[in-house]
Amino acid sequence: MLPDISGIIIIAGNYGSGKSETAVNLAAVSRRAGKRVKITDLDLVNPYFRSREAQKPLADMGVEVVLPDSKYMQADLPILTSAVADMIKNPAQVTILDAGGDDAGVTVLAALADVLKKSHVKLLQVINPLRPFTNDVQGCLKMKAQIEAAAKLPVTGLICNANLLDETTPQIIYDGYNLVTRVSEATGLNIEFITASTRLLPQLDPERILCPILPIDRLLAPPWIRT
Amino acid sequence: MAKVLMKGNEAIGEAAIRAGCLNYFAYPITPQSEVAEYLSKRLPEVGGTFLQGESEVAVGYMIFGASGAGERVMTTSSSPGISLMSEALSYIAAAHCPAVFVNIVRGGPGLGGILPSQGDYFQATKGGGHGDYHLLVLAPDGVQEAVEMTMQAFTLAEKYRNPVMVMGDGMIGQMMEPVEFPDDLKTEPTNKDAWATNGMSTRKSKTPNLVKSLFLDSAELNRNNLDLKAKYEQMKKEDVQYELYNADGDYQILIASYGTMSRVCRTAIDMLKAEGIEAAMFRPKTLFPFPEKQVYDAAVKDSCKCVISIEMSMGQMVEDVQRCVMGKKPVEFYGECGGEIPSPEKIIEIVKELIG
Repeated sequence: MLPDISGIIIIAGNYGSGKSETAVNLAAVSRRAGKRVKITDLDLVNPYFRSREAQKPLADMGVEVVLPDSKYMQADLPILTSAVADMIKNPAQVTILDAGGDDAGVTVLAALADVLKKSHVKLLQVINPLRPFTNDVQGCLKMKAQIEAAAKLPVTGLICNANLLDETTPQIIYDGYNLVTRVSEATGLNIEFITASTRLLPQLDPERILCPILPIDRLLAPPWIRT
Repeated sequence: MAKVLMKGNEAIGEAAIRAGCLNYFAYPITPQSEVAEYLSKRLPEVGGTFLQGESEVAVGYMIFGASGAGERVMTTSSSPGISLMSEALSYIAAAHCPAVFVNIVRGGPGLGGILPSQGDYFQATKGGGHGDYHLLVLAPDGVQEAVEMTMQAFTLAEKYRNPVMVMGDGMIGQMMEPVEFPDDLKTEPTNKDAWATNGMSTRKSKTPNLVKSLFLDSAELNRNNLDLKAKYEQMKKEDVQYELYNADGDYQILIASYGTMSRVCRTAIDMLKAEGIEAAMFRPKTLFPFPEKQVYDAAVKDSCKCVISIEMSMGQMVEDVQRCVMGKKPVEFYGECGGEIPSPEKIIEIVKELIG
């Protein structure tokens, strides 16, 4: 079962939790399902491996990618293009905002608070339990509280992105799903979906996962990876 | 311990803790700020100290101070920051103090850009600061090696009482890979009562120590330089590290590359092999001491027509390769700068041109 989410979706989480890879793949899946999709890269904190690097494949599929002027694309500056506020005021069927990591990364959302509070937004926390600081329920709850305080918005749902890149096994995905299920129980928040690489999807037992699964095709890989 | 998924910068921070380093002073700069971010969270948990200096110049001397007092200490920075620390590096080397400096290199010269580069090879291996000194320079090719080399850097720094640099580039700092941490380093900084200004009340010796880099007497300064030189010669004998890839068969070309660049070359070599073309790679893991004999031996193999150094710079390591190959085989160069990284396809094209 693929994720079927509409509206304004903000993807947040700790550094390296896989926010950007999740955001671009969610954009791709939504577009393939025939929806109108807009995505913006709000990562003003980290200059590498950002969703803007997937601009071309997404644009080729017909996803509208909203980014700062190309001459500032590699600038080490917190540029928030005014097009982002326009995008929230005039959302597509699926409008994805890929935020930066940790509390620092979502601070930018506070700058958009005026437009955001007029819209109904989903703020989803991406969790990869194989990352430092979110390897247990307590760590995930702490990260959630930090994100909410900085963004001035409540987290509304969870995404489990358990992976060790190419070394991911089905067991890693099951274990991650179990952990995020416990976070879900502790918070009352829904698990919107989990992720799994397209390579692993056929090996997963659908009986064991009670939520949608977003297939991941790695779009933000280092330059030596060739498949 | 099970594997975790870590960014190079975070992994370097964790590796320092596991090496028993409880003193970390730094000033933020892209693309290595996550080391400071990570250690500012982790060090208080283990009773360590993270202090942000007012500049890299200050940080360099904070490192000198802690190191002179016999403490395990590390800083991390990126290219322009390392330039600012270079005066302190020269002082620390002259005073025979152990310390670990990490340079996550970005594009230069000047303020340059924030993307990955290998443009600081000369600075790291040939000086940077003034005077006859060398750093021992380790160049990891990924996150796992960044962990191992950061831990090893402390051991080597203490073995030689000399600053050790771990030199990655923005890609090594920013990329994520699964890592497994080796056992914690259990050793104490060696022999520090004999040289460090670690406080008379805690010392086993009654003789006060003096840590200094000022030698006004010419004979004494000459002697200090000879002592330093002896250490560099010992490094060349005992601590050269390198890797050869696909070098068992009859290769037609030898590619010299290190760090991130070697990952791309590895992919290119695999793709060439699939087409029936044999290329080997020589990868120095220590940039100083440079594996001089090893690159010579790999280059002079009968089947090898030429050597090419491929770098994310305008040609720096190539000078060491030329020096070591001593004209026995042609040594070519290809490089890109500013955050551009030669692709596997580009490398394949160049190799095919060179071997005809």
